[in-house]
Amino acid sequence: MSLSNIRYYFKEGFSNLWHNRVMTIASISSVIAALFMLGIFSAMILNVDNIVSQIESQIEIRAFLKDDLSEENIKLLDAGIKSVEGIKEVTYESKEQALENFKKQLGDRSDLLAGLEGDNPMPASFIIKTTSPQVIESVVNAIKGMEGIDQVRYGKDIVEKILNLTYVIRIISLVLIVILIIISVVIIYNTIRITVYARRREITIMRYVGATDWFIRWPFIIEGAVLGFAGTIAALAILRISYSYAVEYLTRSFFVFGLLPASVVIDNIFLMLLSIGLIIGIMGSTLSIHRFLKV
Amino acid sequence: MIEFKGVSKKYSGNMIALSNINFFIDKGEFVFLVGPSGAGKSTILKLILKEEGPSSGEILVNGYDVTHMKPGDIPYYRRKLGVVFQDYKLLPEKTVYDNVAFALIVTGAQGSAIRKQVPMVLSLVGLSDKAYRYPRELSGGEQQRAAIARALVNNPTILIADEPTGNLDPDTAWGIMELISEINRRGTTVLVATHAKEIVTNMKKRVISLHKGNIVRDQTRGVYSDVVK
Repeated sequence: MSLSNIRYYFKEGFSNLWHNRVMTIASISSVIAALFMLGIFSAMILNVDNIVSQIESQIEIRAFLKDDLSEENIKLLDAGIKSVEGIKEVTYESKEQALENFKKQLGDRSDLLAGLEGDNPMPASFIIKTTSPQVIESVVNAIKGMEGIDQVRYGKDIVEKILNLTYVIRIISLVLIVILIIISVVIIYNTIRITVYARRREITIMRYVGATDWFIRWPFIIEGAVLGFAGTIAALAILRISYSYAVEYLTRSFFVFGLLPASVVIDNIFLMLLSIGLIIGIMGSTLSIHRFLKV
Repeated sequence: MIEFKGVSKKYSGNMIALSNINFFIDKGEFVFLVGPSGAGKSTILKLILKEEGPSSGEILVNGYDVTHMKPGDIPYYRRKLGVVFQDYKLLPEKTVYDNVAFALIVTGAQGSAIRKQVPMVLSLVGLSDKAYRYPRELSGGEQQRAAIARALVNNPTILIADEPTGNLDPDTAWGIMELISEINRRGTTVLVATHAKEIVTNMKKRVISLHKGNIVRDQTRGVYSDVVK
């Protein structure tokens, strides 16, 4: 591929875009719409992931101990729990500490617990944090069977709800994104088909004078790629601005904190959106010239 | 140079366009392909240009086995064939110069080669002074000359013309045929499909007559005659 060929491909590709302005704008708009939606869903997923990981890190398992365990037994248990796979952190809370903490929680009304020091009803426990929410069940099962453990409790419902929520959001966004991408491909397909049709005489002549199929294809592929690229860049710009406003608004009016800043979101999705935009454009154009080059 | 060996072409619906066609055209020959509409002239040209393949038989052109050619070889094969059509097929938004240069550009030719070749063929067809005109500003004969220039710019070994004078008045038609003869004298093999009785009869070249998909006559120094069998 010589330099003069490449110059020719780009010149023809851009002249196609210009001659077919209305469809060019329509295609770019559809790519913008698709990728903007894709960007919104990605931003949502990124934020939900972020919130989930914050909540996840707060989920803890509490293993209550039977009364009257010797110091040695407690140490053994501590070592046993630490050896279970997926454990991040284990802290011991003695009966006395448990009572203290309970008193603190009651605050003003701690007098209700007065006199219990002699016969402390609170059990000692281990507070266990896991490396990920997925391993909670297995860790719980492992600890339950251990000698000296009375009961194991953890926020099972919360874990499941969060996992379900992220799953549902992912599925819905995936379906919507696939639909939007298909729509964009179809619109670009039609745009390029119109230019291919407008240039059919030229293509016929090119074939007669011995142009290779790739020589004929390149300008249209470039046309499609430019549509995809332009749409993506515009979508990213719009996304950045609207996302910043949305974060500001949510923080100010609804006191939603901990949302990811726009720059982080854009950094995370930039390459993905750009590749999808280019693929959409190239796919649309490749499909539409395929038919014309069959002879 | 161009050889058809037992070539048949059937279209869907059992329409027989050509049946068992055999002929050989040598390097440097000038051959007319004549016959009424539907006799198979266009089909033969399409087969030579590899727009279509035959249903059976073999076609050899320029040392290429056209029948079994790989799709990737077709463009390179076509570069050695110049084609001229009844409707010229010039691009209206390009000047004469650009129309001719286009045939070189799409083969990936260098700019220097283009700047040398295009004026040369334009002077050969007598359009040097109209190089920067648009097709709509030219007469029919001039448009056909531009199309011939485009067909010649790649230095083809064979020039194929499909009714080149079909849209032209008799005087202009003669001018075009003289130009094609001149190209033939310079060594290019020429194959012209035509209805133009008077031209064929007066030029006394080889004439292959087709009727309903069969060759009914193949004469050197032939004439155009209506054949009804």
